[in-house]
Amino acid sequence: MAKPNIRSLDAMAFTSMAGERERHIEEASTAIPPKPSSYKANRMAAALHPSVQHVKIAQVIDRGPRFRSFVLEADEDRGTEGLAWFDAGQYLSVEVPLPEGAVTRPFSICSSPLDAKNGQYQLTLERVPGGRVSDFVWDTWAEGTKLDVSMPCGEFTYEPIRDAKQVVALVGGSSITPIYSLAKAVAEGTEHIESLTILYGTNTWDEAVLEAELQELADSCDAVTLVNVLADEERDGCEHGFITLDLVRKHAPEGDVSYFICGPQAMRLAIDAWIDDLGVRRKFIRREVFGEYRDPEKDPGYPAPAATEFKLTVRVCGEEHELTCNAHDTLLNWMERQGIHAPARCRSGECGWCHSRLVSGDVYVPERTDGRREADKKYGYVHPCATFPLSDVVLEVPPFAN
Amino acid sequence: MDPQYDVVVVGAGNGGLMCAAQCAKNGLKTLVLEKHNLPGGCATTFVRGRYEFEASLHELCSVGTAEKPDEVYRLFEKVGADPDWRYEHTMFRAVCTAPDGYDVTLSGTGDDPWDTFAQCVEDAVPGSKEGVLAIRDLVEHDKDAVAYITKMKGKLNPLRMITQYADFMRMAAYSAEDVMVALGLPAKARNILCTYWGYLGVPTDELKAFHYFNMVDGYVTDGAAFPRLKSHGLSEGLAKVILDNGGDIFYNTEVDGFVYDGNGAVCGVTAGGKEYRARRIVSNILANNVWNLSPAKNVPDKARQLANARSFGISVFTIYLGLDISKDELGLGNYTTFIQKSPRARDQYDLRSNKGFYIVNCLNEIFDEATPEGTCQLFFTAQLDGSDIPDDLTPEEYKDWKNKLAQSYIADAEKVLGVDISSHVEEVVVATPVTFARYLGTPTGTIYAYRTAGWDSVMARMSAQFTDNTVQSLSFVGGQTARGDGYSCAFISGDTTAERITNQLRAEDAAAEAVASGKAGE
Repeated sequence: MAKPNIRSLDAMAFTSMAGERERHIEEASTAIPPKPSSYKANRMAAALHPSVQHVKIAQVIDRGPRFRSFVLEADEDRGTEGLAWFDAGQYLSVEVPLPEGAVTRPFSICSSPLDAKNGQYQLTLERVPGGRVSDFVWDTWAEGTKLDVSMPCGEFTYEPIRDAKQVVALVGGSSITPIYSLAKAVAEGTEHIESLTILYGTNTWDEAVLEAELQELADSCDAVTLVNVLADEERDGCEHGFITLDLVRKHAPEGDVSYFICGPQAMRLAIDAWIDDLGVRRKFIRREVFGEYRDPEKDPGYPAPAATEFKLTVRVCGEEHELTCNAHDTLLNWMERQGIHAPARCRSGECGWCHSRLVSGDVYVPERTDGRREADKKYGYVHPCATFPLSDVVLEVPPFAN
Repeated sequence: MDPQYDVVVVGAGNGGLMCAAQCAKNGLKTLVLEKHNLPGGCATTFVRGRYEFEASLHELCSVGTAEKPDEVYRLFEKVGADPDWRYEHTMFRAVCTAPDGYDVTLSGTGDDPWDTFAQCVEDAVPGSKEGVLAIRDLVEHDKDAVAYITKMKGKLNPLRMITQYADFMRMAAYSAEDVMVALGLPAKARNILCTYWGYLGVPTDELKAFHYFNMVDGYVTDGAAFPRLKSHGLSEGLAKVILDNGGDIFYNTEVDGFVYDGNGAVCGVTAGGKEYRARRIVSNILANNVWNLSPAKNVPDKARQLANARSFGISVFTIYLGLDISKDELGLGNYTTFIQKSPRARDQYDLRSNKGFYIVNCLNEIFDEATPEGTCQLFFTAQLDGSDIPDDLTPEEYKDWKNKLAQSYIADAEKVLGVDISSHVEEVVVATPVTFARYLGTPTGTIYAYRTAGWDSVMARMSAQFTDNTVQSLSFVGGQTARGDGYSCAFISGDTTAERITNQLRAEDAAAEAVASGKAGE
């Protein structure tokens, strides 16, 4: 029997290939090909993930001495026609043009996705005494103020493929904002969670910003339950003390529960100390980004810096800037403070938007907020928002982008 | 004005990075402009919780080892990057759930991987081994033919072609399916052998045999290869070569215009409010986008027609899963499983929105350090075109739509493979053509550039590669070039372009020097 062969196919078909290709090309239109934006997938990508959103403040809502809400609307004059849809729990990275140079801040969206569809985002900010950004915001943000904000960012969202149908949120103070958004989305039917129990920890009743709004959601929606936990006050209908393991056990429903944790770092660290005793799998513990890492020198194993003051050389697209820094603050803050508008979003080491090349120098990257990829460690890349200098540093940074 | 650079590369995808690395290595002053904040394009990773996910890589073909290097191994060695390659010689398990389906595992192990591979097919379909080995011989024959064509720079002697390379001509002109029918392979064997079609995005009744089997050969002989630090390591490794050799890479710097000189040659690009001039511009971004960023008067009719004549390659629907169980607890037992509703590639393609064909990969089967101890990383991939997205889908419905689709795939795989995935999901990300449109900026979210089928097959592109380019000083790299899509092809395209440009610029410099010294001697 002959070896299998392909002689039954006409080899001369090959000779017509070039001509066939030519013919197809010659028959095509001589118009400039359509722009990417003419395709559905690209339009959807642009609607969900705009590279920047130009907005203006439509309303300022005073919420007591420490809190203020800002209602943002699309600034059509600057080309933003609508606000991007988002998942409850996401944040906007907001550009704040401080006099010494622009900085960014991630603020959780404190309104629902449906509100965005209807043209509004709300941010609720807490005044930080002496805070540069907070002072600037309180002094200058008013109705009509124009702002540039990023697309909605962040992974502190409810994922039906991953999360339990029951959620317990462990919340401290002003970090209520993403959970308020989630509760509103549940009440409005855009997030399908069977039960959302919010343990809302504050020092006092008066400090519980958005309490009335939350209570209204809880009253009108069976799936939402609100439990106020007051550290410094005893009050009817509220728990007294901190959010503890016992308190969580008391209020968590039977069966699988996903825990969504957000709050100030002290509270986060306190919860970390007992969360394993809750005996739930890691997949059911979801944490909001940690926030800016502070006091790295208190970490066990923190390496001693080479000196008290260092040179920080920053290269942006071939331009070099000579700055100074020390070991107590992040490379990102040092850059921003000295007029370098570096890219940043989460400012917690996680999202990687500030990904930069450490050309030379020693740095300290706290393990907790080290969200780098494995190869970054080999090839010398850092996230400046969560990296502290230990010596003179040369850093190559991409130019700012929202 | 003097050019600031010898070469500006637009886009830091695989082709762009390899091209820039080789240019810089050759001593050319090189700049890469990338719109994203990372190198790699498709060749990247992302972190969720304690998992770092491969964004698009399944496996590289034609790599080889230190002892037996193939094209891609040699390229990385040549530029001086070390991806720390890992290998897999079990090619795949294919589970076809149709009544006339099958469940087979194919390997290319041992001293004679093609023989092992053919034996696997023989075990599943007795009487097919000879036919499979005939494919091996045809692929070898093709390599000789390509070597001849390359040597002749495309100027072929028709008589020599028909007397010596007639089978190559057939392989180039006919589909993989046609060739297998001619070889007398039974339908079941043909279907099993076609399993890899998804890697090229074109079903094998349309994909030319030359193209398809060249890739299959790359997997059989060399196994599948993986960079230990995942694709991000591959990309940062090439970035390092560029930087170490004096090149620049500017991230967050999206090119928004191509600049032409009075003779219609491209001489620069604009980005971030600046103009970057260069003697050569290399585009890793699709020609469609380049023409949209060029003054209309500078875009030749032929270039417009070529772009308009072409169809876009396919995109994908991908589910990335971080599971809180080890690969052994999950129990798939191999890296790649193809799940098919029909044994025929064409049906699989037509049913692509409805689980007609998808791939389940467990990266820990290649290197268990891919994720922390006690966990594993799983990803699902199905073909999906940007145009397959429902027309009336709104942004607010998008997440629900993709999640429901993802859940249906996961449930299907659990049923077919008898494993529990859904209760172990610690991290999940679902990507669609929208995701790829977002990050890559390609029209309709294509990840495979232009469809390599029919009149625009790989061989047809190779024959036309010097006439396709109609703008002086502009070159293209990546999946849009002659070799078509895939990591390995993109790297090769980058290297080929770098060497061609280097030769051209050296010749120009030598000529300029000769003129200068001639003048000096006057």
